[in-house]
Amino acid sequence: MFLALSEMRRAKVRFGLLAGAVGLLVFLILFQQALLTGLVNQFIGALKNQSADVLVFNAQARKNLEGSIILPDQAAAIAAVEGVDVAAPLGEGTFTVLAGGEETDAVIFGYELGGPGAPTTLIEGRLPEVGGEAVASSRNAADGFDIGDTVTVVPNPGGTATTFTVVGLAREINYSVSPTLFTDFAGFETARRAVNPDATQVLPSVMAVRVVAGADPAEVADAITAAVEGTEGLTRQQAVDESPGVASVRQSFSVILLLFYLVVPLVTGLFFLIVTFQKAGALTLLRAIGSPAGPLVRSLLIQVVAVVLSGAVLATGLFWLASLGGGGGLGITVEPMPVITTTLVVLVLALLTSFAAVRRVLRIDPIAATTGAGVQV
Amino acid sequence: MNLALTELRRRPSRFTVATVVLTFLSLLLLLLGGLLDGLYLGSTGAIRAQEADVIVYSDSARDSFLRSRITPDMREVVEGVDGVTEVGGLGFTLLGATVPGESDLADVAVAGYELAPSGVPAPPPAGHAWADDRLRDAGVAIGDTLLVGPAATPIVVDGWVEDTNYLLQGGLWVTLDTWRAVQNANRPDAFLADGVVQVLVVRGEGDIGPAIDAATGSTSSLTRDEAVNALPGVKEQRSTFNAIIYSTLAVVLAVVGLFFSLLTLERTGLYGVLKAIGASTRRLFVGVVLQAVVVAVIAFVIGGALATLADRALPADVPLQLTTGRYVFTFVALIVAAVLGSAVSLRRVTRIDPASAIGSAA
Repeated sequence: MFLALSEMRRAKVRFGLLAGAVGLLVFLILFQQALLTGLVNQFIGALKNQSADVLVFNAQARKNLEGSIILPDQAAAIAAVEGVDVAAPLGEGTFTVLAGGEETDAVIFGYELGGPGAPTTLIEGRLPEVGGEAVASSRNAADGFDIGDTVTVVPNPGGTATTFTVVGLAREINYSVSPTLFTDFAGFETARRAVNPDATQVLPSVMAVRVVAGADPAEVADAITAAVEGTEGLTRQQAVDESPGVASVRQSFSVILLLFYLVVPLVTGLFFLIVTFQKAGALTLLRAIGSPAGPLVRSLLIQVVAVVLSGAVLATGLFWLASLGGGGGLGITVEPMPVITTTLVVLVLALLTSFAAVRRVLRIDPIAATTGAGVQV
Repeated sequence: MNLALTELRRRPSRFTVATVVLTFLSLLLLLLGGLLDGLYLGSTGAIRAQEADVIVYSDSARDSFLRSRITPDMREVVEGVDGVTEVGGLGFTLLGATVPGESDLADVAVAGYELAPSGVPAPPPAGHAWADDRLRDAGVAIGDTLLVGPAATPIVVDGWVEDTNYLLQGGLWVTLDTWRAVQNANRPDAFLADGVVQVLVVRGEGDIGPAIDAATGSTSSLTRDEAVNALPGVKEQRSTFNAIIYSTLAVVLAVVGLFFSLLTLERTGLYGVLKAIGASTRRLFVGVVLQAVVVAVIAFVIGGALATLADRALPADVPLQLTTGRYVFTFVALIVAAVLGSAVSLRRVTRIDPASAIGSAA
């Protein structure tokens, strides 16, 4: 260990540059992983954390809540499918609202009070009990969406303003990265008419279904799709996973993350391989004067661990700084588990690629010290 | 210079690992940039194509097309503002469409317009559309009748236009009346009365935006670029992806710097000999830079080829779009990073004393 750390102390720039490169790469991995989680939670948290077992979309909507409407005869047919306990309307729309004295965008979900579609992650206050009450996303409490605050939907010409009072806060119920309110369906209907006074009728975006006790939500969802023409039933998890954009965002980020995970060990492996070549003479001499291969290999591995851990510390610092900026409003936070897991994965990969250098150390023939030869390629 | 190139030719294995690492990094840069471009171009084409001096929204819409409503009264006021020469309505409805012979639906943005955007012909007859050519991927062909939305409103495709998509959905350019019919049939909760549009595309002379907003008292006018940036997520996507791209470039710089400083260290003795027989520091340093540039070029070529293959292999719903501009940017950025990274070795090359060659250079 003494040898390994002494060498690092004497070649600060070289090892510092490597630790810097590893740090930047680990930071990018951590940042992108957090970005992906933030994107998914902030885009479709409201779907993930509501109480319906099954959501029934219009088949034409391609699983997009914003593009879906359920016609009255479809709603009636869904309620009659076997396995459905309760089928209630769930509406969703984005509105301009006045909150905390400022105009801002907000998503409003309207559900039948007491029925499926209610937020499930209440952390403060209570669920709405009468019209005009709403549960807000806790992330936006400080922006005029705290308990007791009133949020007013700004009407278009000819419409009438409608106001909601926040009575509860729930975590991770944002939708489309906007502040989100859950209120009764009648309140949603009023909000729709405030901005579209010419609306002929306000239809639910999807039907929120509670299945009968013991029924499999996936089977009920399939039964609804088969029985009701023009609809597509999805379990809550399917609605989250297959939400437009989520699958493709996950796929794109996976490819990029995989490449980053490959680059870190390659950079580390390359560095130690070259350094081993450069130290060939000294290593051969050490072997010739009686040093066994074990301590030399351990010394190399200690350096790999030290470099990766230094990089991880740097990466965590950068990640923390980036989290102060919020990551584009996605609420990116530093959590210990992802940092530890990523560091361990990177460390294992770096140790694996450093085996090329280890192999060369093990192949050093002490007799070469008498001939001037170094590491055998 | 010949020495540097000769070394690359005769000892390519020495540069293999650095080339592989840089290849991965250039592939990463291209994929990241391609995703950014795909998201940006696919979301904003319909707005970038507008030949507008300003786009006028209702002020309560907070610059959102889908929430904006301009009534005929407001339009009349806008038309009367000094400097305004042409005014046209514009509106979008995002829906799914059934394509003949296809089992999957196509995501379409039905766009009603009056003033033809760049590359889009004058409005087609009622019930017909000019389709964005990216809808070909969904199986759409000229002459097809698409059944749009839950109400299955028929729209006949008359021809193709390019780069006119809206929020990653394929543009279908129709008359305002056809658009209104589609919207009212499929979105009764967003019903539009006769003459109502989402926004106005306005052409004119001088600073007409503030004049329009002052005259109506209830509109918000944006330039075309401002309207593009006001689309949901556009600014955030760009800033996030650019941060990742520039951080990756910093990694390229560190990798090149590290690799060539190690190589220089290894060649200290050799450089001492070369200096002793008359080679200048400049010549030696140019050799190092040249090797870095060659490695970067090779890495870019392989990385570029892999990115092109990835573009073909990835599913169509991954919004990857590799443009010539992105290849050029990545190439230039890689070369600059390679040159700057190799400059780390300059100090070491400069410090080599020719006298050290005597007795120690072997």
